Amino acid sequence: MLITGRNFGLLLLLVIMASVYYFIKSAEKGKVPTLRRIAGIDAIDEAIGRAVEMGRPVICSHGIADLRGATSGPQTLAGLSVLSYVSKKAIETGAKVIVPVRQAEVWPIAADIVETEYKLAGRDEEFDEGDIRFLSPDQFGYSSNYMGLMMREKPAANIMIGAYWAESLQLGETGNRVGAFQISGTAQTSQIPFFLVTTDYCLIGEEIYSAGAYLTNDAPLIASLAGQDVGRIIAVVLCVLGALFSTVGSDLLLKIFGM
Amino acid sequence: MSEKLRSIEIPIIITAICTLLQVIPYYLDIQFLDNASAIERDWMLLIVNMAVFVGVISIGQVHGRKIMRRAKNWEYSIILMVAMIIMALTGLPIESIGLGLDNTIYNFLFIQVLTPLGSTMYSILAFFITSAAYRAFRARNIEAALILVSGTIVVMSNAPLFTSSLPFLITWKNWIFDVPNTATMRGVMMGAALGAIALAVRTLMGIERGYLRGGGTD
Repeated sequence: MLITGRNFGLLLLLVIMASVYYFIKSAEKGKVPTLRRIAGIDAIDEAIGRAVEMGRPVICSHGIADLRGATSGPQTLAGLSVLSYVSKKAIETGAKVIVPVRQAEVWPIAADIVETEYKLAGRDEEFDEGDIRFLSPDQFGYSSNYMGLMMREKPAANIMIGAYWAESLQLGETGNRVGAFQISGTAQTSQIPFFLVTTDYCLIGEEIYSAGAYLTNDAPLIASLAGQDVGRIIAVVLCVLGALFSTVGSDLLLKIFGM
Repeated sequence: MSEKLRSIEIPIIITAICTLLQVIPYYLDIQFLDNASAIERDWMLLIVNMAVFVGVISIGQVHGRKIMRRAKNWEYSIILMVAMIIMALTGLPIESIGLGLDNTIYNFLFIQVLTPLGSTMYSILAFFITSAAYRAFRARNIEAALILVSGTIVVMSNAPLFTSSLPFLITWKNWIFDVPNTATMRGVMMGAALGAIALAVRTLMGIERGYLRGGGTD
């Protein structure tokens, strides 16, 4: 029943999931770990405040990926969690949020998130579906549209959290050109350097996944981040063991991985 | 009844079932689950393709309104709408009347218009890289200085003008790529993978609700 070659991966996955589950349950009993501050996420409020002061919109994008990719899908989910917070704060403070969308299947979710925040604030009538803009399913069609959007709207803030590819630099540079306060975040390792040099704050890798927990400040969500540390310890131990085994010419670890 | 249908638990349960149906067959060979997983993937394709119409409606809403209001640059919206309609109609899979992927107009728009436009957008990255490099290469602190030095070595090691007289630059570049760069990237990738697993657990347990209506308070 077990598929050969994937057993060790399954074991690791179960251990990490169990540790995340354990910390979540511990938090429900009152044991909440302390979370380090993440400057990029703290700056979201500042970005929205800037938009209110300047009377300009906030552009909040969740990347160009769909929800189906094994590595890119979770990034889109993380971006949508941030969108939920951004739209809530923007509605509270009176800022306009524009959401550029590339994947048609994500559009209804993004629209639902923003619309619900308006409803929760008791201002249903102010929601404009036109602010959740499907730009283009084509990568560079999307990026040219997004750049045009920034040039026309001159947003006070541009928040980009999700999976991005080659368009990351174009978007970051255009945001810079229009003077937008920019917060970016992605787990695409090839795009992190571009975001680092073009935006004011950049969330690196796993930081984007913690954004939802960080922003809601919900104890079980925060505790789940501590569960990740167990996986991190396992990864470091395996790295050290791998280096040692490789140095002495043993392939024992490879055999275990290949179980 | 309608209140029950709008219950927040329904999307959470659907998410959990669909996720497990994709994850379990990857590790366990169970014919029933394999079949169910394949059916789910077919459903997913159907839903995704149906969602294309949502995108078309959104484009119609935004640009239709712009044309009606004669908003700034509304002429471009007409071009977009006309191009979209022509592409959609000529691309319809009715080959008996000459439509579909072999249609001349469809092919013209795709090969002569869409492809060059995409290539143009990709190629302007070169200019963006130049301006981003200028910003990155200002040594304002130690970290920026390190980027400046390593970036300069990598750039020089790719130019025969320098490597012909300074061949050690290639060795230095390889070291930068193989040691600090690879180590950092692997660290980020491992962290991101762990973050994604934790997000998956939170989503399966229904406590990560940021992607649901107002965090699930509705």
